[in-house]
Amino acid sequence: MRVEVARTDELSEPGAQKLVEVNGRELAIFNVGNEYHAVVNYCIHQGGPLCEGELTGGYDVDSDGWMWKYDEHRKIIHCPWHNWRFDVTTGENVDDDSLAVPTYDVEVEDGTVYVSM
Amino acid sequence: MNHPVRTRFSGKSYDSSLHSAPSLRTMKNFTRLTRCCITVDSVQRSRWVFRSESLCRPIWDMVDVSMASTNSITNRSLDDLGMVVDADAHVSEQFDDVLPYVDDRYAGPRKRMQGDSKGRQWATVFSATQAGPSPKSKYEETRDSETKIRQLREFGIDHGVLLGTRFNGINTVNNPRYAVALADGFNNWILDEFLDEEKTLSAGITIAPQKPSKAAEEIDRRATEDGFVGVAMPPGGLLPPLGHEKYDPIYQAAEDNGLPLMMHGTNRGFQYGMPTLFRGTESKAEAHFLSHPFQIMQNLCTAIFRGLPERYPDLDLVFQECGVGYIPYAKWRLDDIYMEKPEDMPLLTKPPSAYIDENCYFTTQPLGHTGGSPSDVARAIEMAGPENIMYSSDLPHSTFDPPEELFNKIRGHFDDDTLRGIMGETAVEVFDLS
Repeated sequence: MRVEVARTDELSEPGAQKLVEVNGRELAIFNVGNEYHAVVNYCIHQGGPLCEGELTGGYDVDSDGWMWKYDEHRKIIHCPWHNWRFDVTTGENVDDDSLAVPTYDVEVEDGTVYVSM
Repeated sequence: MNHPVRTRFSGKSYDSSLHSAPSLRTMKNFTRLTRCCITVDSVQRSRWVFRSESLCRPIWDMVDVSMASTNSITNRSLDDLGMVVDADAHVSEQFDDVLPYVDDRYAGPRKRMQGDSKGRQWATVFSATQAGPSPKSKYEETRDSETKIRQLREFGIDHGVLLGTRFNGINTVNNPRYAVALADGFNNWILDEFLDEEKTLSAGITIAPQKPSKAAEEIDRRATEDGFVGVAMPPGGLLPPLGHEKYDPIYQAAEDNGLPLMMHGTNRGFQYGMPTLFRGTESKAEAHFLSHPFQIMQNLCTAIFRGLPERYPDLDLVFQECGVGYIPYAKWRLDDIYMEKPEDMPLLTKPPSAYIDENCYFTTQPLGHTGGSPSDVARAIEMAGPENIMYSSDLPHSTFDPPEELFNKIRGHFDDDTLRGIMGETAVEVFDLS
């Protein structure tokens, strides 16, 4: 099943996010580097509204193996309850790879964003 | 006490008149989500398929059923409990909220603090800092009773015992005149904004341990006002620590008024009271790990070894925000040392754990993420002493535990009376909330 959820011009800026409801499920659609991703709005930690948090880049260790480096590529959603972090492009928890939240396939046609279920 | 309208939803309950908070929409969708996630086509990773059932439930929803067959269990959900009390609920005071509430008898220190530019007083009056920036708190600020009550209702909590946030670092105020004035202002503010004619909320009396005689006056004055149910004596930066005779006027006033001492740590108090430990930290994360439990362990030790429960046998001590895992360890270690070195604690007539059982209470948050073994929490509470454990949320701080974080892990382990005690009734007795 394919459901229309947004127009690309609503989400034209990288880092844009939109909450939608599809078949009784709350999802969020994210623009990550002009590619679109859909993630369930539900944090597996304690049930918080995951996708109502902030979409950010992430810190990593620089090539010297020591200094902080900040990657501006905004693809990490922070749960507003306890700051648990998930990569919206994969659904995986950034800090514990045994954890993940559901993601959904997204297609774009003629400026319309669809989610497949 | 008010009892919210409760809607069964994954054990959650909420007041339907206050359901505008965004997270509730998510909770209402939860049941459907649980069912559908398992068959989502786009979830293709093998571990997802393998672990989908547990992953699609919040981690706190995993239930300990290890003892279910041996106990009489009727409390199957929070809805069945009489009352849920948050024994560590916070407000988010700003310095400028409090300053105008400082009484005219402290006009001198008030004027001196007003003379500093806005916002600088956290550094110039509270002389302590942190090892690094905190993550921005993404939950709502809590500076009025309406917000606080909505927050408690959203999580199905019937009553909150309030403390400040930064004012738990009052020990870091070097000048005792400022500290005394600020304690008075904070108590006036919390009374006006949160407690007046509001039975859903109560609070600890914030005091300035720097000046015990004035602190005792503050306790005596506030104890006559409805809503003050304890004495906030923060352990962070408390020098000397709890149990010292310097604080005798405070212990006496608290005991005379039937108020427990509330010991709640702070990150800034850690820097102030344990500076060499603090200097070894490189980040807020390291300092945060050490700060709360080290402050509590130090003050639990000195209070017991110096015989505070012998000298003030009717004084209850409430230790907050360290979880439950450390309690068995602390009791065992204190008892070991008592047996080895009893001459170092001449006032004691029985092992430390016996005083802890009689005089000390512990709030549960942060329980910690216990992975695949939710029954670990129940076993820790069993060892700690369930009669001395009180649920707490820590809302609105980002380390908060909803009631289910605790309840779902212990509901299969304890009998009904014990569960009711942990989730609320023990707090009703300790803080005399009835």
